[in-house]
Amino acid sequence: MGNKNHAALVRVGPKFLMKRPEGPKQIVAPVADVFETAEAFVVKLDLPGVEKEKVHVTIQPGRLSVKGEVGVIHRNESSMLLEEIGLKMYYREFNLGDGIDHQTAQAELEEGVLTILLPKTDEVKSRTIIIH
Amino acid sequence: MVVRFDVSRPLDTLLKDLVVNDFAPSARLFPAIDIAEYENETVLIAELPGVKKEDVKITFEKNVLTLSGERKAYEIPQDARVLINENRVSSFNRSVRFSHDVDANRISADLQNGMLKIVVPKAESAKPRTIEVK
Repeated sequence: MGNKNHAALVRVGPKFLMKRPEGPKQIVAPVADVFETAEAFVVKLDLPGVEKEKVHVTIQPGRLSVKGEVGVIHRNESSMLLEEIGLKMYYREFNLGDGIDHQTAQAELEEGVLTILLPKTDEVKSRTIIIH
Repeated sequence: MVVRFDVSRPLDTLLKDLVVNDFAPSARLFPAIDIAEYENETVLIAELPGVKKEDVKITFEKNVLTLSGERKAYEIPQDARVLINENRVSSFNRSVRFSHDVDANRISADLQNGMLKIVVPKAESAKPRTIEVK
């Protein structure tokens, strides 16, 4: 599957085996939940350890991209006994359809979870049509 | 220091990774942890996004530190249509066994930005000592 970032590579054993093979700042796609309501799309992303200032959310026609940088959490790399988190950067893109009101989009970071609200434009909001 | 821990991954996430996504989301173990050892203390960092302070429980017994708790589900409106659903965690539980003595009364924990930091000070008997040659 060619995924070097796989957590399953980390096994118990001598110290050197527990380290991830690759260098610092690997890029990881954050876990996502996305749902759609009549009014908007809501995107929730896990960004543990990322401060508000280190999150970049960009919306452009057809695409939403999110980047987050985890701060330095350890004082000394050589003292690591187990490293499942390591140093990393979060990045993920989503394709967006038409009908999203870019101007009123909002983002909020709470408890390490980023919530992005993408309101729909009036034209695409689903309506209940009354049959006369 | 010997660290033992449970690595368990639900089969469905494994299958999903194989089938769906090569550039896969990070949280398979929950919580993922880092452990660093210093002269006077051991520091454990756990990723706990979306977990509230009151939903985390840390216990220390017989030299085993156990981190457990619950990640509550998001409130999703009734009429919502779920498009991506990768978060499946509800309760979690991981343990770390210490091979040296620790000062259990001074263990401290702090949860910030979805990242939990637990500092486990070593007991005096476990700290490194320099022996003077007379």
